[in-house]
Parts: sequence; C-alpha cells; structure tokens
Amino acid sequence: MEQWDTTTKSTLTKIPLLTTKAGPRDGAAWTQRLKEEYKALIAYTSMNKANDNDWFRISAANPEGTRWVGKCWYVHNLLKFEFDLQFDIPVTYPATAPELELPELDGKTHKMYRGGKICLTVHFKPLWAKNCPRFGIAHALCLGLAPWLAAEIPILVDSGMIKHKDDVAASSSDSS
Amino acid sequence: MDEELLELQKQFEFAQQAKSSIRLSDRNVVELVQKLHDLQIIDFDLLHTVSGKEYITPEQLRLEICSEVKRLGRVSLIDLTDSIGVDLYHVERQAQVVVSDDPELMLIQGEIISKSYWDTMAEEINERLQECSQIAVAELAAQLQVGSELISSMLESRLGTLIKGRLEGGQLYTPAYVARVNAMVRGAARGITVPMNLSALWSSLQQLLQGMDGATGVAVDNSFFQTLFNGLLKEVEILGSLRAGVHWTPAVFASAQKEFVDSFLSQNSFISYDSLQKLGIPQPMQYLQSRYPEGIPLVTMFIHPSMIEMLDAAIEDAVERNSWIDSLTVLPSLCDSQDAHKILSLCPSVQSALKSNRALIVGESYVLSDGFIKDVFTRLDKEMQTTIPISTASKIDDEKQPTKESKGGNDSGRLSEFNDVSTEGGNRPAMDRGSKKKKGKSSGNPRSSAAESDLNKQEPIPSKSKRNQRKGKDTSVLHVSESKRSKEDSVGVPSEEWIINKVLALVPEFEEQDVDDRETILKPLANQLRPMLVTSWNERRRAMLAENSDRMKRVLDNLQKKLDEIYEKALDLFEDDQATFVRNFFSVTRYLVVLHRHLLRTTGASIADMLLCNLDVYNKLKNGIPVEESQNSESVSLSSGERTSIAKSLHGSLSVKAVALVESLEGKDLTSQVSMENDPVLLLPKVVSLLYLKIHNKALQAPGRAMSTAVSRLKDKLDDSAFKTLMDYHSATVTLLALLSASTNDEDDCASDRIATKKELLESLMPMLKSLVLGSTQPQVAAS
Repeated sequence: MEQWDTTTKSTLTKIPLLTTKAGPRDGAAWTQRLKEEYKALIAYTSMNKANDNDWFRISAANPEGTRWVGKCWYVHNLLKFEFDLQFDIPVTYPATAPELELPELDGKTHKMYRGGKICLTVHFKPLWAKNCPRFGIAHALCLGLAPWLAAEIPILVDSGMIKHKDDVAASSSDSS
Repeated sequence: MDEELLELQKQFEFAQQAKSSIRLSDRNVVELVQKLHDLQIIDFDLLHTVSGKEYITPEQLRLEICSEVKRLGRVSLIDLTDSIGVDLYHVERQAQVVVSDDPELMLIQGEIISKSYWDTMAEEINERLQECSQIAVAELAAQLQVGSELISSMLESRLGTLIKGRLEGGQLYTPAYVARVNAMVRGAARGITVPMNLSALWSSLQQLLQGMDGATGVAVDNSFFQTLFNGLLKEVEILGSLRAGVHWTPAVFASAQKEFVDSFLSQNSFISYDSLQKLGIPQPMQYLQSRYPEGIPLVTMFIHPSMIEMLDAAIEDAVERNSWIDSLTVLPSLCDSQDAHKILSLCPSVQSALKSNRALIVGESYVLSDGFIKDVFTRLDKEMQTTIPISTASKIDDEKQPTKESKGGNDSGRLSEFNDVSTEGGNRPAMDRGSKKKKGKSSGNPRSSAAESDLNKQEPIPSKSKRNQRKGKDTSVLHVSESKRSKEDSVGVPSEEWIINKVLALVPEFEEQDVDDRETILKPLANQLRPMLVTSWNERRRAMLAENSDRMKRVLDNLQKKLDEIYEKALDLFEDDQATFVRNFFSVTRYLVVLHRHLLRTTGASIADMLLCNLDVYNKLKNGIPVEESQNSESVSLSSGERTSIAKSLHGSLSVKAVALVESLEGKDLTSQVSMENDPVLLLPKVVSLLYLKIHNKALQAPGRAMSTAVSRLKDKLDDSAFKTLMDYHSATVTLLALLSASTNDEDDCASDRIATKKELLESLMPMLKSLVLGSTQPQVAAS
C-alpha cells in the first residue's frame, strides 16, 4: 500500500468490501456476488460525485453480468478526454482480475496489450491476489484504471497521439 | 432475474445519473483570489501565513497582535511570529503601526511592552524597595532583562507615585534612608573646621555606612553624597565655599583666614604669599588683589601703598643729599631684590629722578644719586691723572675693552641666574597649582634678566664707535714688539678692578656690604664710571697730542738744518781741491770715493748721533710721552750702548734700520780707531791724520814717505812737548822699519835683538801718543 498516494488509500478504505467468492458459472452465488458488486459500485460512484471527482459510467451489457460496457474520461489542462470502456468477467473471477479495455487507444501506447487491454502495474496483481475475494469491479477501477489514465493520458495528449474531441472547458478537476 | 438484483441495477444507474457536487481545489482557490485582486474586487493587501495555506489581512494581523499584547503585557516580536504564524517582516511592520496608534504601548529592542506591564513591575519594585531600603538599578535590569537606561527612565516617570523612593547614581533609596544619609552628610560638613577634599570625606562616610548596613548594604556612590551636599549648600544649612566641586572650605575657616590677613596687613603694611599659602589659599596674589584693590602685588609679597610712600621719601632724601641708599634697608626683610626693583618702579620720585638722570639704579635695589656718581667720578679722575701717565698703551687698552665689557655682561648674567636660583630655593613645595603658579613666576625672571642684558648690550655701542675711530688712526701706527706691548700693558686706562678698589677707598660704607652685594653695586658703578674716565683721559691725551705735533714738526726742521750744516762743514774740507777737480776731470770717481770715505771717518758719527737723538725725541712726542725742552747742542757724543738702546726704542722697521746703522758705525771713526789701535807702526799715520784734521781742518791723504813733511808742517800749531813726542815716535818708527827691511836680507841674531828693542820703545810711547790725540780733543771742546 505504500506505493499508492494518500488520496487513493483513503478512497479505497471507503469502498465496501465484498464477501461472496463466486464466478459467472456459480448460479445463485454469482447472483449474490452481483448484488454485492452493484452496492460497491453505487457507493464508489456516490463518493466520486460528492468529491467532484466523477470519472466513469458503466453498466452490465447482458443479464448475466459477465460483460460490462461504458465510458470513462480524464480532464487534462481543463480539457476533457473521454474514452469507451469495456471488459469481460473471467470465469475464474474473482481469483483473476478482469482485463479492462480501451479500444480507442489500441496501438497508441506501449502500456497496452493487443486489443486495447491496459497494462497494469506490477503492484496491482499482488494486491488483488492478496485481497481475494474482497476486491471487486469498483476496486479494479479505482486501483487499476484510474491510475493508468492519470499516468498515460497526459503523455498521449502531449505527444499528439490523442486529439481533443470536445471543446468544453469544464471546471472539473483531475481525478487525482 | 432476481428482483433485488434489478433494483440494485436501477439504483446504480440512478447513482451514475446523479449530478456531482462541484469542489474547488487549492490551486483553483489561489487562482480565483488572484483574479479577484486583479479585477480590483479585493482592493486591500493580503498576507500569507507561514504555512502558506491561509490568507490574512493587515487589520486582522494587528488585531491579533493587540490581543496577544493585552494577554501578556510584554511580548517579543519573535514570539508573535510563532504564535500568529505570520512572517517576522510583516509582524514588525504591523507592530510599529500598532505601537504608534496606541500611546500606552512601546516598541523597544524587538519587544512590545504595555504601560500596564510597567505599572505592575513598578509596584513589585516598590514592595522590594520598602523591604531593603535600597536597590541597585543594575540588579533590576538584569532581573527584568532590559537595559539600565530603559528601566531608569521607567522608574523616574513613576517616582513619587507608584515608587516611593529616590533614584540617585544608579541606586533606588527610600525617603527614610535618604534622610538618614543626608543627616550624616550635614553633620560631617558642619564638623569640619579646616579645608578638606570632599572625596576623603565621602570615603569615610562610606566606611561608616558599611559598618551600619553590614553585608546586606550596597555601596553608596559618591555622587549621591555630592548631590546631598549640594542640596544642603543651596538650602544654606551648611556655611562655606566649594571650589571646583571638590575642595570644601568651611565659613569658619574662611573667616579666620580673613581676620589673620586683615590684621597682619594692617600692622605690617605687607604680607608674604608663603604665609597665605600656609593658610590654604592657593592663589594668594589673586586673593589679595580681589580684597585689596589698592594694594600692589610683587613677586613674593603683597604691600600696601603706604610702604611705597615711605620708601619714596627715603630715596628722595638720599638723592637730594647727593648720596646713595639700599632700598632693602628700608623695606621688610622678606623683600628681595626683584620686589625692591618693582617697588622702585612704582616710586614717583625715583621715576622722575631716573628720567631727568638725577639717579641711577644698580643691583635692582640700590639707588645712587647723580651727585654721588659725579663726586666719585671727579675724585677718581684726579687720582687717575696723578697715577697713570698718558702714553700709546692707551690704544692697546682700548682694544681690550670689549673683552672686559663682555666679561662684565656675563657676570651680571650670572648674578641674575644666582638670584633666580635663590628665589626658587626659597619657595617651599606646595600644591600642584601653587607650584605651577610659581613656575610661571620664575619664568618671568629670565625676561628681566634679558632686559638687563639688553641694557648691558646698549651701553657699549657709543664706546664701540669711538674705538672704531681710534682703530682707523691706529692703522698708521707701526707694529710694536711683544716685549714692548707686555711692558706697556701695565700702564694703561684704569680697569674695573682698579675703579672698584678706588671706590671702596673713597666710600667706606660699601665695605659693610656682602661680597655679592658689593659686586652687584660696584660693577655697574664701575661700568658707569669707566666710560666717563676714558672720555676724560682721551680728551686730555688728544690735547697733548695736538701740542706734541707742533713740537714734532719743529724737531724735524731743526734736524734738517743741523744735517745741512754738518754736511757743508764736511765739504769745506775739500775747498782747496776744487782746482784739482777742474784739472783732473777724469778722476772725479776717485775723488768721490775719497770724499765718502772721508765723511765716514770724520763727521759720520756726529751725523748719526744727532739723527738718533732727534728721532728719539720725535718718537716720544708722537707717543705722547712728556719730553722736556732741552737745548740742542751742536755736537752730541753718544756711547755705543746708548746708541743701541735708542735704536731699539724706536718702532718696527725703523728700529731695525737704526740698529744696523749703529752696527755699521762701530770702529769707523778715527778717534775710535786711534783708541783701539795696537800696532805701533800703523798708529802713527792715524794720529797724524787726526791731528791734521783738527788743526788745519783739512783732509790728509799722504804716503808713508811724506809723513815727515806732514809732521813738520804741524810744528807751528802744536806745543813743543807734543811736537817733540811726535818727532821721537816718528824717528823710532823709521828706524824700526829700516831694521825690518835690513833683517830681511841678513839673518843674524843681532838684528832681531835690535828690532825687539825698538818695538819695546814704540810700545812705551804709544799711550803718550794716544793721550796726545785724545787730550787735544778737550781743548777743542772747551774752545767750542
């Protein structure tokens, strides 16, 4: 935990922890897990809005809850950069973390696998493994995607790989 | 699908759709405030706190400073920086504003102190003071950690109100303590009856207080005593005078002084400075002048004008009686020469007598009247006429005068120095100021000495001019040998010693004086008299020289006449030979030689003798030696010794030539030749020649063969006995000469015996022949 900044730590401690260890193939247990996932996501979103730090919007693409889609955005130099976000729940979840995908940025940065899957830091996987099954989708977004965006988007913007779509000069602050 | 699951999905969607609250970050706030300031919406200054997370306005800062000062009473600016959290720079600036606005606050050495704080401290100090009676301000300053000046000023402003005490010399005292010390000072000051240095008094009081207060007491500063003392003086609780703030003279002592001085001066008409200094008056002259303006300050004493009047009367009487007086005999014994001199300068009759040259002051205290000096001069002049003849030596003596006068000047200088030394020796050691004053006075003496030396220098000037005139005359005088000079030095113009001895003989009163006083009196008197005597002597000498010049002229004229007569007489011897001159013109040279030789043999001695006698007379007249008018005889016969002495008595080169003349005459006269001749054969022609000259008054130049004829021609003139003697001598001589010539041819013993016999005969006749010639001169002298 010493690698994370204090804001991330304090935010993480406020996200509710999950208790059910079940994957998509576990029937009723998976349903229970989904309930817990939704509660955590609701809490995380509310927290972000209260802090004027809202930065994503996702929903289940199918009734089983195994595929999620949505959008995420990052404010840099008072400019908002928005990207499509999608990810599948692995069958071994929650032992295995879901792989978050940004298809628009596929091939534009070295910190990305084939297909637009973000490459997480070496500190994420041990942390996820250590906290199984307490971490869920909300935790993956908080510990995985948010830092990635904060690290990579400014580089991509400065290097010109990303062009701004929206001219809105919002007064939103950055996610950090 | 589970109902609950669907509900959660809806809630999630709703949560995501909800509007998020807007939150400003620190950066945004900073930018916002900056923008507001740029737009002049915020038109006042904003200060940053130390943490950098807060803004604070200057008003707020001042409020916080005021509240802190009110809370603590005394606060350091550095402490304010810590408690308020604003930089020291801003705190200092706002603190100055706060202090300037509020009169009860002061900003000193980085601290804000309120009046209430000082009031509190003053109350505490007062409590301590009442317990201890005295507190040192330095101790308080150390305790409160402020400067002594600050705490002193704080205490001074609260004396009498919050602090019931007195601040003096860095000490706080209670009124009771001050009163006690004041009483001690008053008692001590009243108890003193002689002048005293207050420092000594204060040190004794210090010891007394130490004994009273013990170890707890603090040493009282001398300035405290001094302040109390000055207060007592102002309130006239103690009587006296304070000089230089240190020397205290009680009124009792001052009045005793005054009484003594008044009584002494009224009784004696004088008072010496030494006695005043014994009384403790450091500047007696100024003291006496201020109290007796009509008095007269002198070097060693102060006198009343009545003393001057008394001395003036005595001196006037002496001057009128043509006498002299020592002013010291009239003045008190304390008076020395310098004081006497000053008093004399203040006597009106003395000054008028000096101006009209009716009196003379010598030795600073002796007054000699002009009549007295003239009387002494007259008597010395008469004595000098009888004792010292006028001669050339006077010139030599004149040349030596400057040396003697310069010596006299040195003597007077030495006397002045002696007076100075004695004056200084008489002074007793006194306080520093007194000694400085005396040094100032002693420095005045060299001035008077210089004045005297100036007077001495002025006197010789006229005599120098006279000497120069005489030196001009002396250039014509020939050099005199050393022996002559040494001889003549003894006979000269009178010296100082001579004059002094004569004056002592004339005026016996001077014998009574001391040797030093006698020198002081008589040397100036001798210096005064000597030029007069020299002038008188020179005048007489000049008159005699004028008379002598006429006689000298006559002597020379007579000498010329006599020489001419003798020369004519000599030439008469050759009258008969004038024909020979004419006939034998070619033999003129020969005759001149004969003439010169003849003159030398016959009349040269007479001419030389007459010349030497007249030169001697001329020389004596020229030198001023009296010579009686003696009858000039036609022929003066001088011996060789007399000639030599006269020649040596002449001057220089003249003497040398005269001596040579005398030497050349030795043995040249026929008479002297006859008297000295020892050869019997050669005597005859000399005697015959001399007899011929005397009888016939003609020169005789004859060969040996003509001798008989010459002798026969003398027969008529000589008496029979003389003629017989002469003939006999002639016969014997002829016989002797014949024998001599014969003996040359024959060498037998009989001839030598006969020659010896004839020689003995001639030798026996020689004295008779000489007496014949020398005896014949006497009748001639008788005839003339």
